[in-house]
Amino acid sequence: MKESKLVNFFIYLFLIVFTIGTLYPVLNVFSISLRPGDKLLSTSLEIIPDNATFKSYVELFTNRDFLLWIWNSTFISLVVTITGVVLASTAGYALSRFNFIGKQLSMTGIIITQMFPATMLLLPMYIMLIELGLLNSYFGIIIVYTSTALPFCVWQMKGYYDTIPFSLEEAARIDGCTRFQAFYKIILPLAAPALVITALFSFMAAWSEYIVAAQILQDTKLYTLPLGLKSFQSNLTTEWGLYAAASLVVSIPVVILFVVLSKWLVSGLTLGSVKG
Amino acid sequence: MGCGKKSDPNEIIIWHQMRVDEREVLQRHLDNFMKLNHEIKVTQLYKETEELRSGFIIAAIGGQGPELVYGPEDQVGPFEIMKIIKPLDEIFSEEYLNNFNEKAKVYSNGKLWMLADKLGNHLTLVYNKALLKSPPETDRELIEIGKKLTLDKNNDGKTDQYGLVWNYTEPFFFIPFLTGYGGWVFDDSLNPTLNSQAMISGLKFIAELRDKHKIIPNEADYEIADVLFKEGRAAMLINGDWSWASYGKSGIDYGISPLPLIEETGLRAAPMVSAKGFSINANVKDDKLSIIKKLMEFLLSPENQLQTAKQLNTFPTRKEVYQDPFILKDEILQNSQKQIEFGKPMPIVSEMRAIWDAMRPSYQAVLGGTIGPEQAAIQMQKDAVKKIAELKEDVTSESAEQIFFIIAGIGIFILIILSRKTCISFILTFKENRFAYFFLLPALIVMGLVIFYPFFYNVVLSLSNMNLRHISDWGIIGFDQYVKVFSEPVFYSVFLKTIFWTFSNVFFHVVLGVALALLLNRSLPGKGIFRTLLILPWAIPQYIVALTWRGMFNYEYGSINLIFTKYLMLPAVEWLKSPTEAFLAVILTNVWLGFPFMMIISLGALQSIPQELYEAADIEGARWFHKLKSITIPLIKPVLIPAITLGIIWTFNNLNVVWLVSNAGEPSDQTHILVSYVYKAAFNLYRYGYAAAFSMVIFLILLLMSISLIKKTKATESVY
Repeated sequence: MKESKLVNFFIYLFLIVFTIGTLYPVLNVFSISLRPGDKLLSTSLEIIPDNATFKSYVELFTNRDFLLWIWNSTFISLVVTITGVVLASTAGYALSRFNFIGKQLSMTGIIITQMFPATMLLLPMYIMLIELGLLNSYFGIIIVYTSTALPFCVWQMKGYYDTIPFSLEEAARIDGCTRFQAFYKIILPLAAPALVITALFSFMAAWSEYIVAAQILQDTKLYTLPLGLKSFQSNLTTEWGLYAAASLVVSIPVVILFVVLSKWLVSGLTLGSVKG
Repeated sequence: MGCGKKSDPNEIIIWHQMRVDEREVLQRHLDNFMKLNHEIKVTQLYKETEELRSGFIIAAIGGQGPELVYGPEDQVGPFEIMKIIKPLDEIFSEEYLNNFNEKAKVYSNGKLWMLADKLGNHLTLVYNKALLKSPPETDRELIEIGKKLTLDKNNDGKTDQYGLVWNYTEPFFFIPFLTGYGGWVFDDSLNPTLNSQAMISGLKFIAELRDKHKIIPNEADYEIADVLFKEGRAAMLINGDWSWASYGKSGIDYGISPLPLIEETGLRAAPMVSAKGFSINANVKDDKLSIIKKLMEFLLSPENQLQTAKQLNTFPTRKEVYQDPFILKDEILQNSQKQIEFGKPMPIVSEMRAIWDAMRPSYQAVLGGTIGPEQAAIQMQKDAVKKIAELKEDVTSESAEQIFFIIAGIGIFILIILSRKTCISFILTFKENRFAYFFLLPALIVMGLVIFYPFFYNVVLSLSNMNLRHISDWGIIGFDQYVKVFSEPVFYSVFLKTIFWTFSNVFFHVVLGVALALLLNRSLPGKGIFRTLLILPWAIPQYIVALTWRGMFNYEYGSINLIFTKYLMLPAVEWLKSPTEAFLAVILTNVWLGFPFMMIISLGALQSIPQELYEAADIEGARWFHKLKSITIPLIKPVLIPAITLGIIWTFNNLNVVWLVSNAGEPSDQTHILVSYVYKAAFNLYRYGYAAAFSMVIFLILLLMSISLIKKTKATESVY
């Protein structure tokens, strides 16, 4: 018993030191947000700077379009999340439960999309969006975000469905359910942890993305949070105080989501197997 | 906000890269203009310099883009070659143009392409009046004053105040010392002249300021120079007109003065001076020109220029304004004007890009002490010649296009023949699997549209000659671009670095993730708090945290070195100055960013292991290590392997972190991985075809790697 107390002590010690190390860069961002005079760096180690001020936070909410950006980002992210969940849960189910021609091809294709370097899609995607007239519209950006989040989500859903025994649907079918009912009433509720993960990933893909948004949205009224954040910055002069404050505010919803969903996060992210 | 909105005949959009205070002034002018002209609506849109350039190019080729584009005059070079802006001398009368300072009219090939409202963008000497009364006139005085003002106030062996600071690692900030020794970047016929005695002397001068006179910090980028001056810990600073106002705001009583005279040559250290102004998109229809002209005349009017000058300390371009008492009396503006007169105009040709890219690596290598100034000058010249050739490269092929279509046709035909059996059975089994297709199709359509279509587009681009010369009239030329990728020696060293980057990152992600998961899976009170806190690196936007990390790696003020020297009694490490350490710094940052994902995955896997297995092992008296080896690892392996595969793929292509922490590959372009290298080397010089081929190569490498990885793990899986 004594031994395990000692072990626990060392575990705590390690965890505390490690966590402090992990949090330090985050605290640094907090420190920047409190600094007057837009200084990204400081020559001292302290977290609370001299003349600390919450001016940046006040400025953010009163003088800038911050609330508008929050609204735009929330709207876009939610739509992406819903479409992502609907499309991934169905596609993943088809890949998990059926043996059809083109299944192997689809599975391979989905993994392959993850291997495209960003530099490869940037230019063609932009040219395509111009030709489709999707510039400057929510519709354009929602399609792009959904499709970039989908491959991982489909893969992840398929993996989770694989862990649910086939016999459940068979039983449901014997009881008179249609195929769709069996999916909808029996399997989907069981896959809740994976659905939560899919939702979280789709949400995050849309919430913090910058490069594509900068190409598609060219009307300041449509700006999302990352675009708004970047507008505090210009060549060689940046409003670091606002930038840091906004970054922290932006991450709060994500952190809350993580905390609320952490139970599901652990059980839902199984990724299945690579067997395909 | 519907799709495919047609442009409104009375709406004008301006793209610019102005900083925040400039934007506010512009907006006030625009509001006034719209008050006078109710029917016209003008909107401004900020874009970062590089995005503005690439975004405008692509939009304009697509027949779209803003009516007006505002920026520094060097963007005229590429825009003019690509024919995406209109000549202005056909729109404005000669009489009107005579009102402007000659430097404000940006000509190229005999035509006017840009009309400027501001002159400057120039570096000057900024000094803290509380620390020195009169600024140095010559380089000797600069060193003398600098030595007097470089102080170790508390005698701890560390400098508390520097005589001089500036972003001396960036070539733009070095130019004054090249010109001060009589050098320049081009000769009259635009051949690079980087291998000169002036270059060698200039490089030596900077190195001596740091190593011999010790009046500048050992390591300084833009942000650290900025903060030292703002905190009153530097007496003098070299920075441009964009920055001055922020020093006043930080409570520094500052003055500016022209950069010193170099005694050896009798020449002034001359910064580059450039105008900033408006160009008109070539896609603008003639009927819209009259309102655009009206707007430009309004924005460039003497009254508005004077107001701008008063609010922003920028130097106007209308000659009428120069006699205004405000301009004549203002100390800052007068000194600024003096510096502009000493300055040299920034060349507007697109070759300037190649010059910067050629100077940076060797310049930083001199600062890092790996090569001498003489060798650096030779290398810069060599690189510049090569890069200019790449920029101008002009390959066309008449027959390649036909061959391409023939091969593509044959390929499709063979594919149809080979897959005809599959097609038939697809039709036969379709009804049976209708449900599956119905479920899968929506996702496939969305992914196909946004991911696969661009992929095929990219394949075609990789076989083409799309570049600066052939931006809208590009054609298929065959495998030239691929040959170029493989004949570049840098490709192989960057490739090896990428491999090292990928595997070291993933290794630490997994080890840390699994170790933490094992600890957090025990029954510890309060483990939920740790789990939540440890997820944070995943949740915060990467952009700002990566920059914070860069700050933490600073040699003198970064927290990592402070902890090393103060608490761990270790020597300080020059993280960002030498290639190896810089690469290590980037890896460290990415390990921090990536371990939470693996930790969560491992936690999930651990929780699915039945507790009875451990109980059984306990009964048999198995030790901790034995249980780990024979129960835990084999059971979490099936979950970890796909996560590792994904981790490898994601890390291999991770552009952001490398880019931000190493400041686009510094020092000397030695911290690149393949994606960041292609991003810089190809897009910077508008080599779109080459970039497409390079991206294809990256993709194929990754594909081969993943296939062999998946095969291998499957082989080991069957053992268990």
